[in-house]
Amino acid sequence: MTIPFFVGLDVDGAGAHPAAATASGQAPADLLSGARLARSVRQAENAGVTFVTFTDALLPAVTGHASSGRLDAVTRAAFVARTTTAIGLVPQVPTTYPEPFHVAAQLASLDHAAAGRGGWLAGVTRTPETAAAYGRAAVDDVEREARDVVQVVRDLWDTWEDDAVIRDVATGRYVDRDRIHYPRFEGASFSVTGPLITPRPPQGQLVVLAAAGDVAPGSREPLVDVALVGGTGAADATAAALESRARPAGSALGTAGPDTSQRGTAQASDARAVDGRAPRAGVEVEVVLDADGRRAADRLRDLDAATPGGVRSPWGAPAPSGTSPLRYVGDGAGLVALLTSLAASGVDGVRLLPAVLDTDLRALVREVLPALRAARVVVPPRPGATLRETLGLPRPANRYARVA
Amino acid sequence: MSTQHPIVRPGAQVHFGVFFQGVNHTTIWSDPESGSQTEFASFERVARTAERGLFDAFFLGEGLRLRESRGLLHDLDVVGRPDAITQLAALAAVTERIGLVATQNTTYNDPADLARRLQSLDVLSGGRAAWNVVTTDNAWTGANFRRGGYLDHADRYERAAAVLATARRIWDAFPDAGTPGTVARVTASAADLRTPLDAVIDPTTPRSPQGHPVIFQAGDSPAGRDFAAANADVIFSAHGSVLTDALDFAADVRRRVVAAGRPEDDLKIFPGTSIIVGDTPDEAEERARWVRTQQVTPATALSIVGNIWGEDLSAYDPDGPLPAHDPVVEELGGERGSATTGARTREIAQRWRAIAETEGLSIRQLVIRNSGERGFVGTPGSVAEDLTRWVRTGAVDGFNISPWIVPSGLDDIVDRVVPELQERGAYRTAYEGTTLREHVGLREPLPWRTERRDEPRESGARAGAGQEGEAAESAA
Ligand SMILES: Cc1cc2nc3c(=O)[nH]c(=O)nc-3n(C[C@H](O)[C@H](O)[C@H](O)COP(=O)(O)O)c2cc1C
Repeated sequence: MTIPFFVGLDVDGAGAHPAAATASGQAPADLLSGARLARSVRQAENAGVTFVTFTDALLPAVTGHASSGRLDAVTRAAFVARTTTAIGLVPQVPTTYPEPFHVAAQLASLDHAAAGRGGWLAGVTRTPETAAAYGRAAVDDVEREARDVVQVVRDLWDTWEDDAVIRDVATGRYVDRDRIHYPRFEGASFSVTGPLITPRPPQGQLVVLAAAGDVAPGSREPLVDVALVGGTGAADATAAALESRARPAGSALGTAGPDTSQRGTAQASDARAVDGRAPRAGVEVEVVLDADGRRAADRLRDLDAATPGGVRSPWGAPAPSGTSPLRYVGDGAGLVALLTSLAASGVDGVRLLPAVLDTDLRALVREVLPALRAARVVVPPRPGATLRETLGLPRPANRYARVA
Repeated sequence: MSTQHPIVRPGAQVHFGVFFQGVNHTTIWSDPESGSQTEFASFERVARTAERGLFDAFFLGEGLRLRESRGLLHDLDVVGRPDAITQLAALAAVTERIGLVATQNTTYNDPADLARRLQSLDVLSGGRAAWNVVTTDNAWTGANFRRGGYLDHADRYERAAAVLATARRIWDAFPDAGTPGTVARVTASAADLRTPLDAVIDPTTPRSPQGHPVIFQAGDSPAGRDFAAANADVIFSAHGSVLTDALDFAADVRRRVVAAGRPEDDLKIFPGTSIIVGDTPDEAEERARWVRTQQVTPATALSIVGNIWGEDLSAYDPDGPLPAHDPVVEELGGERGSATTGARTREIAQRWRAIAETEGLSIRQLVIRNSGERGFVGTPGSVAEDLTRWVRTGAVDGFNISPWIVPSGLDDIVDRVVPELQERGAYRTAYEGTTLREHVGLREPLPWRTERRDEPRESGARAGAGQEGEAAESAA
């Protein structure tokens, strides 16, 4: 089975460029309103976008600036759960400081509300100011912390077997306690007993996305379903994507280690077509399009000039691995050509980071997505399909279920 | 029911909220009409019905560890619930006016994160969010969190006051919509939060149409009442069945509100309750009896008594007498819910045995009796009369209704009781505002707190200890 190329789109606030809020001229409350959020996500869904992401951070992009307003990502994703039916909803939730138990319950609840369309962009936090906001000491090894948090969240999602609720009137039992489990997780810096307060999410496990390298390899299972890479050019990004698929992110599998089931690079490179269990690898692409009669390069120049000092933004920022997102500045046809060539060279998909959401989404909806659909590079998600189904990922067996 | 209590608020209106029960044995899941307790559609139906009935608010509770009895997961009750803020955010998009109340504890949440999530819900819902502040401190819940069971029982309201004060500073840090200005940095001192480091927070959440979430508090000890009197807009109480008891509670709470320097009507009282109606008084009584028998199954009766006795009584006959021996444990463990902590089991057992002997009750009959005095039973008209009297005598401002069946449990109330109330001029006929603050009839965001925002209160946290064991079963 061939799995279609995925197109993720970030719908955070005014857009990914740090000057987007100022450029939009909208008041924070309007920019962040539920009505505007629902409208953006609906437009993306109607255009056939595979999933939207909600970039997030506890700290503002510019300290003290009202234009740096931003709402919690899970709350935003949940808000659009019932205003949409097909598109995946992927909030960014950091692994570094939030309580893993809360993260697991919030994401499971999102997946219930969205009938299996939930994902998790597991981010790491490298700013010491975030530790200060939590009143905690800075975590020094954020990749290891990410590994433990993703692991325990996955464990917690499995604590209820799918059929734990039995409603057995004869014995008066609502649940079968033998089908609810205690992970008793001991990580390097914390422990969690469990079980989760929320029954197993519809997808079993939400789709976990992370930047390649952010989540240290786990010893038990691949922790990341979709690895995101950057690159200085299309060839570089393609190589990074294929590389990350050969060495699944967050997985010890494929690296030298005791696991004998590791896959060779040659097999992994065409995994997209042959193996539903192979992780997906996507490229992060910052996008500035010709729009509203203005050339993309001019728009970007103005945005860069309007960027406030001291800005804390992922736009153009290098990832820990040293790679920045790929950047595309130009017309819609050029972006169609870029995405088509990425798909042809074996990349599984992209996450687009529009500079100014309203403006660039308009151009994407008019010029880019229809062309990709017509060329069958992109297939819009089916209403009612889970995000796993859309991405060709299987529904995981429950780790605690006894094999009959 | 007595009628001698004077009407002190002749024009007062009845307000309703609905408490969508989470972990509990009062939702009759065994009934063929009972729907999923997990699927979003059930929550949506209840919330929409409540909104059709012009309710102030839809509530979700919180519990961060699944209940156990003697080391085993408790398997008889409805269990398994969504994260409240996440679920309410999804409900915000499919409702327009109803308030959305998230129960969140102050012990296992970090103020920067919690204040942000609550305010996010408030902004997305257009000013309809509230935070029902609860405190939990037990090590048993703490085992799910990084800090573990770090807080002493006596300190939990102190922590609660500090977390709430910090949340308010975070919410107030943004300039009001349309007002230019910068966002203030918020600092909370180590002493406030009982954490090893100071918190320095640069808020990101703008203000909502109601400013920030309304504050509810659920708790009944003297310390809990003092906390509510000093900090909350609404107290979610357990005094919703007996009018004299509710009047006593109201008088006590109002004294505390005045002592805290606020006008006495600044804190609204919304007890949890249930409502059962029938075409005739007899039919309503018959139905109430049926509901109680369904709620207290033989297994549930044995489990409730077994928890007090601290042993497995499942081999006992639920239609037979209480155990002849005394409980084997002195005190209840924390796992049954914080309201039971510290209760003396032997005293409870002796009291129960005395009642059972005097009234000739079996185990199950006793449990039914103990959980039976809750709420309003009658024809839609008589229930409307009773509810109106409760509000107009000043006992309460509204009621938080727990349906005994999900998701159809509000249909009777919305379709039959609300019109009776409206006919009596005791219930709104349309929402007058768009925010929860407006629905409840609260003043503008709280001038009384501005003066003290920089000096977090020392609440009388050490005052309250012992709780009655029975209360635990309703505090879900
Ligand atoms: C009506 C009512 C509802 C409550 N709901 C919850 C809840 O959902 N979650 C929770 O942890 N505690 C809940 N509680 C418990 C209280 O927050 C509090 O922990 C408990 O009553 C003990 O505190 P106290 O000593 O002040 O009474 C509830 C209490 C009452 C009276």
